[in-house]
Amino acid sequence: MVPTGVTLPAEGTLWTWTVQRFAPKSPPFVPPADGFRPFALGYVELDGGPRVAAVLDVPGTVHIGMRLRVEATGGVPHARPAEEDS
Amino acid sequence: MTDVLICGAARTPFGRSEKSGREHAVAAVTAALADAGLPWSRVGAAFGGSDAAGLADTLVADLGLTGVPFVNVKNGCATGGSALVSAVNAIRGGMADVVLAVGFDKHPRGAFDPRPADWGLDDAYGRDGLMVTTQFFGMKIQRYAHDFGITPRTLALVAEKAYRNGSRTPEAWRRKEVSAAEILASGLVNDPLTRFMFCSPGEGAAALVLCSPSVPTRDAVTLRSAVVRTRRRGSFEVFSPVLEAGEPTSVSRDAAVAAFEAAGLGPSDVDVAQLQDTESGAEVMHLAECGFCEDGEQEKLIASGATEIGGTLPVNTDGGCIANGEPIGASGLRQVYEVVQQLRGRAGARQVPGEPRIGFTHVYGAPGVSACTVLAR
Repeated sequence: MVPTGVTLPAEGTLWTWTVQRFAPKSPPFVPPADGFRPFALGYVELDGGPRVAAVLDVPGTVHIGMRLRVEATGGVPHARPAEEDS
Repeated sequence: MTDVLICGAARTPFGRSEKSGREHAVAAVTAALADAGLPWSRVGAAFGGSDAAGLADTLVADLGLTGVPFVNVKNGCATGGSALVSAVNAIRGGMADVVLAVGFDKHPRGAFDPRPADWGLDDAYGRDGLMVTTQFFGMKIQRYAHDFGITPRTLALVAEKAYRNGSRTPEAWRRKEVSAAEILASGLVNDPLTRFMFCSPGEGAAALVLCSPSVPTRDAVTLRSAVVRTRRRGSFEVFSPVLEAGEPTSVSRDAAVAAFEAAGLGPSDVDVAQLQDTESGAEVMHLAECGFCEDGEQEKLIASGATEIGGTLPVNTDGGCIANGEPIGASGLRQVYEVVQQLRGRAGARQVPGEPRIGFTHVYGAPGVSACTVLAR
């Protein structure tokens, strides 16, 4: 496990992924106001760091090895395509 | 070390019914004792449990108030395996010469409702939709398939075999054959896994009567080893917000290696195996993690029919978790029951030909626990 208070690099590559195709059970899941839509999630292997679970905000095809930038959101981290890859 | 024999084995029909988990357990124990030809009063120690259907020691109200020491086991997917290890140690330690191991369960439809706090996680993981066990299975096989060239077709063939073997198993839940094409078209749950590739939570019980060689038996199988392990650092498990980089460790690999070492046997000696198949990808990966093939060989191995009942390594001959469902407490002992029946030549329409002599069982579950056994005729 990563100790608390460590600064991690923001960018990395996608290690694995899946798509949540059905609405998870509520509670605990809180669907968006406009209803559940399938979403991608995965583990991003940060450069020189660990693999972090994140929701993937990726338009188009998701693939292992793609460059992503992870952002803390206050909830589960979200990842979107890194600048140089988009 | 003293040999430990399995002299009685039984299971109940798995699935969904009006029965309670305890009723399943009483039926399985009664049938296992009848199979052994021993009365309940002869049992000198008992170990058992369920994940969600109550305490095993309450079964004495139905089985008989003999004063027997009855230890409750609650160890997730390894509940059956842990009960079995305890039973072996009770015999080897001289506590008793006839010992019972029982596992049972009953889960509601769409079960397994984990709460983030119970896993030490922030509530956000539940709120944002990441407290879903099937996501882990999808992501583990997704990476494995990428690294080792496993196709969706192979995942479908694993499930097709499970339903075919289930159709030959009177106590299985799913007894209708389903084609690979239907399995692929059944709808994605978590990519690349489809609905019919998954097992469902269900109900049922399995029981084993174990004894020392000094007890007269009529059709016993030798339990060469029974091992339970928890995960080491670096393993990839369900509900992990962060993982270490590098090649993941495997608790299944650790448990299998230890079980084979204790038995003085290796994977190539095995004639029939039961591998945890929570979904199709799990069976594929556990073939390699338990030492039966190299990573990536599954693609050809499965297509060639090697893991079918008539193949070189029959796997999940009763349809596994996919066809039987997964009553957590019962699942591990259901596997041992199946291998015992195969080694005795009593598996009926699903009997492995050629008088199998060595069997292997493997369970895996959250949060990184595995139990393996090696059995010999």
